Amino acid sequence: MISLRGVTLVYPNGTRALDGVDLEVAKGSFVFLVGHSGTGKSSLLRLLYREQRPSRGEVTVDGTRVDNMRRSKVAQLRRNVGVVFQDFKLLSDKTVWENVAFALQVTGAKTKDVRRQVPRVLDLVGLAHKSRMYPSELSGGEQQRTAIARALVNNPKIMLCDEPTGNLDPVNTNEIMELLHRINLKGTTVVIATHNALVVDRMRRRVIRLEDGKVVADEERGYYTHPGLREALAAPSA
Amino acid sequence: MDWGRVRFFFGEVWRNFTRNMIMQLTAIGTVMVTIVLLGSFLFTRDTLGKIGDDVIRKIEISVFLKDTTTTQAAKALVRELSADPRIKSVAFIPRAEGLRQMRERLRGQIDTSLLTTNPLPDALRIRVVDPEKVHKVAAYVRKMPEVASVEYAQDAVQKLLRIGGVLGRIGLGIVALLVFTAFIIISNTIRLTVFARRREIAIMQLVGASGWYIRMPFVCEGLIAGVLGAGLALGVLAIARYQLLPKLVIALPFLPMHATDPAVGTLSLELLGVGAAVGIVASWLSVGRYLRT
Repeated sequence: MISLRGVTLVYPNGTRALDGVDLEVAKGSFVFLVGHSGTGKSSLLRLLYREQRPSRGEVTVDGTRVDNMRRSKVAQLRRNVGVVFQDFKLLSDKTVWENVAFALQVTGAKTKDVRRQVPRVLDLVGLAHKSRMYPSELSGGEQQRTAIARALVNNPKIMLCDEPTGNLDPVNTNEIMELLHRINLKGTTVVIATHNALVVDRMRRRVIRLEDGKVVADEERGYYTHPGLREALAAPSA
Repeated sequence: MDWGRVRFFFGEVWRNFTRNMIMQLTAIGTVMVTIVLLGSFLFTRDTLGKIGDDVIRKIEISVFLKDTTTTQAAKALVRELSADPRIKSVAFIPRAEGLRQMRERLRGQIDTSLLTTNPLPDALRIRVVDPEKVHKVAAYVRKMPEVASVEYAQDAVQKLLRIGGVLGRIGLGIVALLVFTAFIIISNTIRLTVFARRREIAIMQLVGASGWYIRMPFVCEGLIAGVLGAGLALGVLAIARYQLLPKLVIALPFLPMHATDPAVGTLSLELLGVGAAVGIVASWLSVGRYLRT
């Protein structure tokens, strides 16, 4: 579903965000990207929805090369890739319903499809009863669920989440992770960049660790903590 | 037709248009001033053109015939010249009539009783169809065997034609400058509204809205600003035309402004078209610049 081959990303100021990254993510996977701030997690996600082009290497999403994709094709790619951010990125002057519908309306969806899809995803994220509220009237968790509903409404094959629980308390964090898990169970590939060790360690899914723009560990049922550090911590003290 | 989509689209356009009202008013005001100046300029150019045409139209070629030319030959010449498609009219002035006209013209300036004999030959007065061809017609007539000499206000014709050409070019320059000014201001206004809505645009791009879909509401805003500005300008011009001009015609009776009434409908449509085009092109380009970044 996602493939990166020899991907290097150097920003114009000379910062090397990614350095020769090779990566394969199968369809329907649930993957955590972990690492310190500035190790290239967000940059890697940006390559996948073509917000950024790599300086070198190939990026393939759902069978299509996106690194050399023409700008006119990017819109089509993004209808297949839902993106969620730490700061929700909701429009404050639109209600929950309107924020979610907006994603369909601006892609030219028919009114009857909007009327069918929006209640379906609002129901899925548990916000059907708050559809007329504005973002400022919602809790952080509810705002993030609205953002997830917006990302989901186009039925994307891939869901990219950049620190989705970064602004949330533990209760809301658990709810959001539970929601993403359910979305994954329906067949959507989910990639989450996160700092949240508790979430990663509790869910025990595939964990890809980045350091200085390189993949330094890739475990199928991994933990947030680096395997070497885990061994050191587990070893009996002398 | 999916009316829900139409309603959503125009709802967005209207919401954004009213949200940035101050900026939109600036753009509308600029288009209005530009179109008023443009309309006034076109009117002035039209009036000056008509003054020039009036003068040129009155220019005649005076053809003096040889003394040996008989009246019959002169009349045959009149018939021949009348058949020439370049010539509008030919009048035969027998020498006696020429003397009478000269006496009339000179009355009060000199003592015409001193003219005891008639020094004038028979003459023709020719008016041409196209003032620019006066000299060609004059040269053609001069070569005719019955003709002794030809006179016409050659310098005046050429000067008027030259002034007309220069005025036309200056006018074109002024119009271009005005349209460019309106273009820059609308384009800046739209850029400000684009900047104010960068978050919304980012979300549209994120969820896969096409460039065309992102651009269209802004282009519609530009179109509305352009058409509203031009509409207001037409109002101002109409007041000037129907309230101010009649007073001006009385104050300046020597100018042939009363003769000038450009096709109001066509001119209005043209000015509206200019406003709309400036609005559309300026907003199209300014959003495009933002979408590329």
